[in-house]
Amino acid sequence: MSATDVPRSEESDLVSRLRLGDADAANEFFDRYAARIRRFIAQSLGAEKSEADDLLQETFIALAEALPFFRGDSSLFTFACAIAHRKVLSFIRTNARRARLLRDAAISESEQRRDVGSHRDFNSALMQLSPDYREALVLKYVEEISVAEIARVLALSEHAVESRLARARKLLRKHLGESQ
Amino acid sequence: MKPEPDESNLAAEMKAAARPLSEIGETNLKRAFLKRLKEVAARPDVVPIEFDGRKIDVRLGGTILGAALKNDIRLMHVCGARTLCATCRVVVESGAENLTPMRPTERFSLRWHLSISPRTRLACQARVRGPVEVKSVFPLCGELPNS
Repeated sequence: MSATDVPRSEESDLVSRLRLGDADAANEFFDRYAARIRRFIAQSLGAEKSEADDLLQETFIALAEALPFFRGDSSLFTFACAIAHRKVLSFIRTNARRARLLRDAAISESEQRRDVGSHRDFNSALMQLSPDYREALVLKYVEEISVAEIARVLALSEHAVESRLARARKLLRKHLGESQ
Repeated sequence: MKPEPDESNLAAEMKAAARPLSEIGETNLKRAFLKRLKEVAARPDVVPIEFDGRKIDVRLGGTILGAALKNDIRLMHVCGARTLCATCRVVVESGAENLTPMRPTERFSLRWHLSISPRTRLACQARVRGPVEVKSVFPLCGELPNS
């Protein structure tokens, strides 16, 4: 399911109920988006570790705090991803060395786990990209959100997102070529 | 040799290679999220602050600068609230704990402009979480200092 599948009117109703602290709305939001936000965080970090769960928790708490200021300019998923993106950036800045080790571990882990002939090359090439590039690719091709929405998540102009995507694709091709 | 992924098949490759969506069941996270939502919902929408002795209402989480401008207090902000000029700086007389913590950019700006008092904040950055009392450092726009 892509982020655009949920009608805006339905989503604004959900936001209103979340702002009132409605338990059903919290459950609905959680069931609808939590797994996707977690996947976005894990892909951005490049590791399926406890760090992703920690950052998911931080994201949800920050989201609860930020909801009163949500203007509805973007989808709720985009808003949540923007918060998650900042949490990931902050984590990477403060744990730069650790993040590098995690990334390396993720590469070797994915190489070991994936079946022969499946997406091993692709995954390891993806993990060699910087988080900025990986995030842009994941949002565009996995979460299928528009360039305008990606621009909101990454706090960039649409033109900058297009450039980043182009560079990410070029690098991905390069890494895929090297892994052959 | 494996063909290079062009834009059309990149999406399919990415989707196939993406981590599966792992189920997140009834967890502490869900409870913590709901608890925080309820706390936020219970907070008042506006909080009173005192600016240069004048009482004004600020939207909870709004900046001091935003509140001042909304109430026709012409606080200087030469750089357009980008932490560059520090002309919007204010001295916090009381309630400093009710402002959001200082970010590195704000701290850097204040140090750069040689304003090292711990009570000084940038009005464009400090967000209000409760009652505070502040005083502007520079004269307001259109006001000349007494000669």
